Amino acid sequence: MKKPSLTILRVGLGITFLWIGILILKQPEAWAGYISPWAEKLLPLPVEEAMLGTAILDIVIGALLVLDLVVWLAALLAALHLIIVLVVSGITDITVRDIAILAAAIALMADSLPKKFITKIMSWQKQEKPKNNNS
Amino acid sequence: MTALALLFTLSAIGISETVYLIRKHLAAEKPICPIGGGCAVVLSSRYSKIFIVPNDILGLLAYLTMAFIAAFLVIGVAPLQWWNFFLKLLVGASSLISLLFTYLQWRVIHAWCFWCLMSAFTIWLSGIIILIN
Repeated sequence: MKKPSLTILRVGLGITFLWIGILILKQPEAWAGYISPWAEKLLPLPVEEAMLGTAILDIVIGALLVLDLVVWLAALLAALHLIIVLVVSGITDITVRDIAILAAAIALMADSLPKKFITKIMSWQKQEKPKNNNS
Repeated sequence: MTALALLFTLSAIGISETVYLIRKHLAAEKPICPIGGGCAVVLSSRYSKIFIVPNDILGLLAYLTMAFIAAFLVIGVAPLQWWNFFLKLLVGASSLISLLFTYLQWRVIHAWCFWCLMSAFTIWLSGIIILIN
């Protein structure tokens, strides 16, 4: 088992996404109210269908996190999803909560990135340093 | 609604815990044992299976069923009365089985397993929530 703190963060975040997905499935039209009018106009499909898609995405992210499967990808999707939510819903009473969830998703993603990916970044950084020194 | 949210949360915690134990079992590794120190003894005892099915798999199935029923009840998937009845039946039966396993740890195996106790408390808490509700 990884650090207990990360496990708690992963399961907690997973439950949050699963539950929000279920609540959106229950009343997609109510959740559509959070989308700003300008963003609604950009949607290529009816807003309720878009909300159903969001619900399924939330449930998939939540399930991956709870089941401890491809956590880095689930956390990345969660972070991107929350950035979109923050952009399309504007500043509301619950914005601060979305920021907290976004921070949690980024923290989880940073800690669960595959070793190969981290090694690649490290080797890339090492290659960049001499170039910078020469210039 | 609040009760269902709590039941869903508890079942998701149970899913996460049983998945961890199943993974460790498949990898033939010992799970970490934060409190008690008797996890390996309990999990490898003859009581770790009901017939041929390991308890962690049975637990996972029970928690998954709980989570799905809670979700169905929130979304309003019919037949609601049946889901409600089945949820109570499942939590009731699981509570009794958890009671039996806790007794076995205490009196028969003489070792305490952190994960088994956590699962038992999760189920009992679910039972208390249903009773209060």
